[in-house]
Amino acid sequence: MNQVSTAFEVYQFMSEKNILIAFTGHFDHLVTTSLLKNIKNKLTALQSVTGIDKRVYNILVESIENISKYASKRSHNHNIAMLLLCKSDDHFTVITGNHILNNDVPALKEKLDKVSKLNNLELKKMYREQLISKRTDENSAGLGIIDIAIKSDNQIKYDFKPLTEQTSFYLFQTEIKIKK
Amino acid sequence: MDSLIIEATEDSPKIMFDIISNRFIVSGESRPENAGKFYTPVINWIVKFEETLYSRKQESKGDSPLVFVFKLDYFNSTSAKYIMDILLIIKKFVEQDYKINIEWHYDKRDDDMLDAGNEFSDTVDLQFDFIDY
Repeated sequence: MNQVSTAFEVYQFMSEKNILIAFTGHFDHLVTTSLLKNIKNKLTALQSVTGIDKRVYNILVESIENISKYASKRSHNHNIAMLLLCKSDDHFTVITGNHILNNDVPALKEKLDKVSKLNNLELKKMYREQLISKRTDENSAGLGIIDIAIKSDNQIKYDFKPLTEQTSFYLFQTEIKIKK
Repeated sequence: MDSLIIEATEDSPKIMFDIISNRFIVSGESRPENAGKFYTPVINWIVKFEETLYSRKQESKGDSPLVFVFKLDYFNSTSAKYIMDILLIIKKFVEQDYKINIEWHYDKRDDDMLDAGNEFSDTVDLQFDFIDY
């Protein structure tokens, strides 16, 4: 089968959508580290006086770590995930996607619904509470999402696309405005 | 007690706790794969250092302040909890009248790192010296 035309469509799509990075595959700490190194170089090349590159990097790392925290360990696809970084004139967009067990969806959705409704002061209050609270897995995962929400002025969106009877694909998007 | 020196890696910060200069520096990027494994020995070292502080005080050698320096490019939210643990130990030292300064260094383009320092300072109720670079 000839994949050349498909490849060209992928290229056109990526150009139109201003996709700087598109990665799908197995995410572990090593892959993450090499990806981040590559992304850091790209962001440093775009270096701005406003420090947007630092903010985007922060949100990227937190988003990637969010993948491994919520990935369904019981599904064989548990480490297969997706990362997209796009840049338009006035904002960056970071999108992650990963497999998650349907059973885990309600609790995660509740947490996200709660965070996405808060204003900046409320988010900072919640961040502080989690920072001094006893360390549990649930809490530390929450801290990452709250941090992303604070740094993006709460421009987070999320969705769960059903895959099988047991699993869904969890999409998490953050928009980061470029200050002029 | 010996100084504590841990070299930086791609995902963990450099630790340079020099008991001669009395500058205890944490610098670089902090997102270790296992934050507990990285920070537990660091925290244990600081806890144990209290004995040295105590004996210095007894021998009236405790005049020059201890300076904790945080100079981080990036830290993840898991590391934030461990930085908080370190600050809580420093707070205990301060409450026992040991002279301690805290420096928070940040890239002058990086408002988020400055905000993070202010957040830690308020949360733990300790004064930080903010230094941009």
